[in-house]
Amino acid sequence: MTEFINRNRRHLTWALYALVAVLILLFVGDQLAGKRAARVVQTLISGVLVGGVYGLVALGIVVINKASGVFNFAHGWMMVVGGMIFWSFFTVSEISVPGALLLSTATMLMIMSTVSWRTLREGRNPLITVGGIVLLTALMTVGGIEFQWLHALAGTFAGAILTGLAVERFAIRPLIGQPLFTAVLMTLAVAEVLHGVTQIAWGTVELNLPIFVDPHTNSRFRPIRLDAFRDLLDGVAIVRVELIIAFVLAIIAFAGFIVFFRYTSVGLAMRATSEDQQLAQSVGLRVRVILAITWAVAAFLASIAGVLQGGAVGLSLNISYVALRVFPAVLLGGLESIAGALIGGIIIGIVEQFGTLLNSSEQVGTNLAPYLVLMLVLIIRPDGLFGEKRIERI
Amino acid sequence: MKRLCIPLLILLLAGAALPSLAQDMLAYPSDLSACEVDMTGETLTVFHFGDLSGPYAFITQPIISAMNDAISYWNGQGGVCGAQLEQVYEDTGGNREAAQSAYDRFTSQYPDELDLLMLYSSDDGELLREQLAADEIVSYISAGSIESLYGEDGMTPGWLYASNPLYINQFGFFCQFVAASPETFPDPVIGFVTWPNAFGRAGTEPAAREYCANLGVDVLEEPQFFLPTDTDILTQVQNATDAGANIIYTNSLASGPALIAGTLVDLGLEEDVKLAGVNWVMDTTVGLLGQRVLKPNGLPSVDGMFGSMPFRWWSEVSHPAVQFVYQQFSINQRAIAEQNIAYLVSWGVIDSIIETYIRTVNRVGSLDAVTGADIRDTVESMDYAVLGGLFQARFEEGMRDGAMNRIAVMKYANADMSGPATGPADALLVDGPSGKMFVPLVLPLTDFMPVPQLRSQ
Amino acid sequence: MANIHPAGVFDTTYEQDMSVDRTARDKLWKNLAFVALLLVPLASVSGPLELGWISDQYVGLIARISIFVIAVQGLNILVGYTGQISLGHAAFMAIGAYGSAIMARELGFSFWTALPASALLTGAIGLLFGLPSLRVKGFYLAMATLAAQFIIPWVLRYPLEDLTGGPRPLSVPAPIIGPFVAYADDELTDGEPFAFQAGDPYFVDVISLELTDATAYTVVELVNPAGDVLPYGDVSMTVSRDSAGNITRLTYIASKAGEYQAVVRAEAGGSFKAVVRRSKALSFATDIAMYYIIVPLAVLLMFLARNIIRTRTGRAFVSVRDNDLAAELLGINVFGYKLRAFFLSAVYAGIAGCLLAFERNSLSLYAFELDISIEMLAMLIIGGAGFPLGAMFGVTFIRILQEAFIPFLRPWLADFLPQLFPFVDAVNITSAINPIVFGGALIIFLALEPRGIAHRWEVLKAAWKLRPYAY
Repeated sequence: MTEFINRNRRHLTWALYALVAVLILLFVGDQLAGKRAARVVQTLISGVLVGGVYGLVALGIVVINKASGVFNFAHGWMMVVGGMIFWSFFTVSEISVPGALLLSTATMLMIMSTVSWRTLREGRNPLITVGGIVLLTALMTVGGIEFQWLHALAGTFAGAILTGLAVERFAIRPLIGQPLFTAVLMTLAVAEVLHGVTQIAWGTVELNLPIFVDPHTNSRFRPIRLDAFRDLLDGVAIVRVELIIAFVLAIIAFAGFIVFFRYTSVGLAMRATSEDQQLAQSVGLRVRVILAITWAVAAFLASIAGVLQGGAVGLSLNISYVALRVFPAVLLGGLESIAGALIGGIIIGIVEQFGTLLNSSEQVGTNLAPYLVLMLVLIIRPDGLFGEKRIERI
Repeated sequence: MKRLCIPLLILLLAGAALPSLAQDMLAYPSDLSACEVDMTGETLTVFHFGDLSGPYAFITQPIISAMNDAISYWNGQGGVCGAQLEQVYEDTGGNREAAQSAYDRFTSQYPDELDLLMLYSSDDGELLREQLAADEIVSYISAGSIESLYGEDGMTPGWLYASNPLYINQFGFFCQFVAASPETFPDPVIGFVTWPNAFGRAGTEPAAREYCANLGVDVLEEPQFFLPTDTDILTQVQNATDAGANIIYTNSLASGPALIAGTLVDLGLEEDVKLAGVNWVMDTTVGLLGQRVLKPNGLPSVDGMFGSMPFRWWSEVSHPAVQFVYQQFSINQRAIAEQNIAYLVSWGVIDSIIETYIRTVNRVGSLDAVTGADIRDTVESMDYAVLGGLFQARFEEGMRDGAMNRIAVMKYANADMSGPATGPADALLVDGPSGKMFVPLVLPLTDFMPVPQLRSQ
Repeated sequence: MANIHPAGVFDTTYEQDMSVDRTARDKLWKNLAFVALLLVPLASVSGPLELGWISDQYVGLIARISIFVIAVQGLNILVGYTGQISLGHAAFMAIGAYGSAIMARELGFSFWTALPASALLTGAIGLLFGLPSLRVKGFYLAMATLAAQFIIPWVLRYPLEDLTGGPRPLSVPAPIIGPFVAYADDELTDGEPFAFQAGDPYFVDVISLELTDATAYTVVELVNPAGDVLPYGDVSMTVSRDSAGNITRLTYIASKAGEYQAVVRAEAGGSFKAVVRRSKALSFATDIAMYYIIVPLAVLLMFLARNIIRTRTGRAFVSVRDNDLAAELLGINVFGYKLRAFFLSAVYAGIAGCLLAFERNSLSLYAFELDISIEMLAMLIIGGAGFPLGAMFGVTFIRILQEAFIPFLRPWLADFLPQLFPFVDAVNITSAINPIVFGGALIIFLALEPRGIAHRWEVLKAAWKLRPYAY
């Protein structure tokens, strides 16, 4: 008997998993049988689309983790800051030139001094700095309200990079060589500071960010109604346009990052850095620069996610809590996997929505189901669905 | 860089009915008791603490603005019976540890001065309820939970006094309104789509359901919960409407009601399903956020939303309290987002604190001699129109929450500011931070009437 | 840290080498510190001696710090010594808190039995959530414990709502010893008031009322001799009701001196049988009395944790942390020790939760959310993970920062910062002070001392002992 179990261990395990899966499906299927087909389809659509937003948030966390091994608790607040900066540039018709100049100067100085302040004086660097400042300021202030998208994108770009670089420079860099967990904790401290900065600059009142608007009515896009399937589904399912836009943006970001990490030298250098910072440094990679790039990129990703979430529901400090809801998605996909972040996000989105469909009076969808799924997956696959298996040596 | 266009809107929101601002200062609207004791040279300290940087920060911050404005107004007028006002407050970030610490600090640093404390959240009220009683400190809170005001069994005495009716009573009051207007609400079935915390689920108790059923208003047993971070709540709203709800009731703030209203429009249900909520849904933030989605008739999604309105609101421009607070609001150049309930009611709370102190000092003889028990005696026998009628402070027969309520509806102003708009054509549109904006109005539908008492059954 | 002795002190026996207190002076200082700590409430403003040397707020502050020291010490065993990260510690505190509260309310446990029982219960549930550590490691394990942080409050809130009250607050009786001296036993009939007198806040009067055979709804009113219903607050009360909502048992604990009367009345001519028992008990309702439960317990548990590390178990923990593969090769049952660490950690959290429940007398699920778990982790790292005193330093540092330093700075900053940034709304600045000062202080601190205060403390101690020679 024991011998049989040992010999067929693998098959038995899979049989067990399959059994559990069938039982769950039977249970869920039985519950779903009472619902109209339109509801099930609608829930699936909502789940996938919301999951796309989760994936985008998860991506930012994964990028930092992949490059530096730090789990970023400040991601939610980076989303808020990015969204708020976007709001400032997007909704104001007359951008204050000194303000824009200040922002672009700070950003360019931070970019150019990533390695050290001395590099600012070397070669053509002063020229590049001034050119960058002029260009960014021009992009942020050119024209009137009709260029609001340009202003907002340039402003958010500069603001996000400034945030990311500042966090890396003043909070994370002093900890190179220190225990990793100290750096994780540092991100918590950064989150508090960003929280304070947001409150100072934008207050606490919820803001309307009208990016997904129909220019004719100045209200949000009408959702697409799937009227064609009315008879088939016994009801109409709708698809919210702004969520589709968010989803498509998420997919593009993911594709970009997969390519970036696999084929570009910076991406490869980032992966090498995350493996072993000392080793990477000893083969000539500039760990500082790579970490700085990572944080800037992650801050920009966070800003995009913040803008999308803010456009979909309104900009408030509550957006920072979205990052907490994304934690299971990050882990489900695997801490180092770009594709995993998207798939994890979508799975969590679907699980949440179906949990809510079946029982929303006990918060099964938001507070129980994602974590049960997370536990289950982690027990079966301890490194997440697509995480790297660590081979350990003594 | 921001909020450049906002002052314009403030002017428009109530400006039409007001005399020119630069002219004369309006008289203080309240009928305060006469000072029998001169308190010149003394300091009357207003103590308050609550969440300024945590989850409810978006609604509480205007409290600080109102407190600052009211205190500087009073001190500019020479103080209360000669006593200068001063405030001591703490930001607890919505955290119990911090609230306990703030309370300990206040009680030990100001053992004599602290007789009256203003709290923001019912969670703090629940935490401190027994301690307030033991230390004999009266507490004013805008809306407390049953447990914070009346204890776990709903009938224990306490030292907290709320100006709003209990949420469960507000819900019962709404059921009365629904039952009384069958032409607006044919075959009413109410479904809860609400936040999951204690505030959000107030009113889902069996007692409330039973009360409403006796009035002929069905209430669905299963509440649908959503979180402030939810991106999409189609599923929750559809769960409620599939179960037969034609009225959705919500205990949520800011983006919560706006999200539900938008979802109803997305589903094409804006005509078939009415939206209603507690007093906090009747707020400027909701009116502004609700414009993200327009109904097919061109008005914002929350147009026509019902809600409790246990005090006067900004759009009742003929009321002296509203005129006065509005004038102060403009003089202090507050931003429109702060023109919400919290700002208005905080002026009222300061007024009731002042009146409480004047009455108590008149009876006791001096400010130093006032104790919490004296304040409590005053409060228990008080029947006072706060700020000349912003709301009524009357606590009797062991009632420690607001007894009166009305139902109001959220509308948008029409172009000549004479009433609600019927469509986008005649609506007042102003330049706001996010393009053209409608101007929200809250119109009372009923008079002040007593709320049903639904706790402790 | 290596075993460093002052110049001229040498170990001559194995016992000396292994002792916690290296020198007699060490021992003396420690004992003095403990005694001083115990004297704090006596010197406080509302202490029984009425000395008024120390503000009352510090009594409460030390008690709250001590509770969190216990919880964070539990986390230290798991994170600091065994290297298993946990993001669900607050949820374990919730089990301890709600477990003990329910035992006291529903099952008639006293505080003294509820404390160990709830600690063991929490330990058992900690074991359950430790099971994934068999396969899951590192940050993934942290996330498995994150699941605990959400699943446990969910279970407390929905399936167990009848017991826990769901999102509503749950009141918890104050711990008492006794009641021991029953000095009167009366039978009551309708409407007849019974009087009782109360003495001081520590040695309190317990009036317990047993109601049976009620034929109608019965009310119990507490009145003063004039017949007015008394303001609440002088007397605390616990009521048990049967399924129909009738009072079956009612206990008054009168802690404020004075005379009271209670009346039992049945509605509409109903009848009932009531027995009143008056007795005395030692109550821990006051902050000062509670202090003497919490602080010694915290010291004891710190001492225990310190000693666990010096045993075979503790060394196994450390070896699992340093390299679990190597530990396994050395014959250590890695999974077994991980589970033990989870168990111990949860027991500590359970004790802390139970103390929190009985100190606060009011429980809410919102006090055990994810941010508290993360805050405890922050306290540990700042104090120094893996140092016996790390928990104490970390909790004290964060709490003093939050409760003394920021409130002290706040009025000054609220005046000064708006002048510095005149273009920003002053209200925004005022409400941003807490997060920004707290976050800023943490950043500075972490950048300067990333290994925690305890590390610096060890360095200082070594420097002091080695003086005047640096090496």
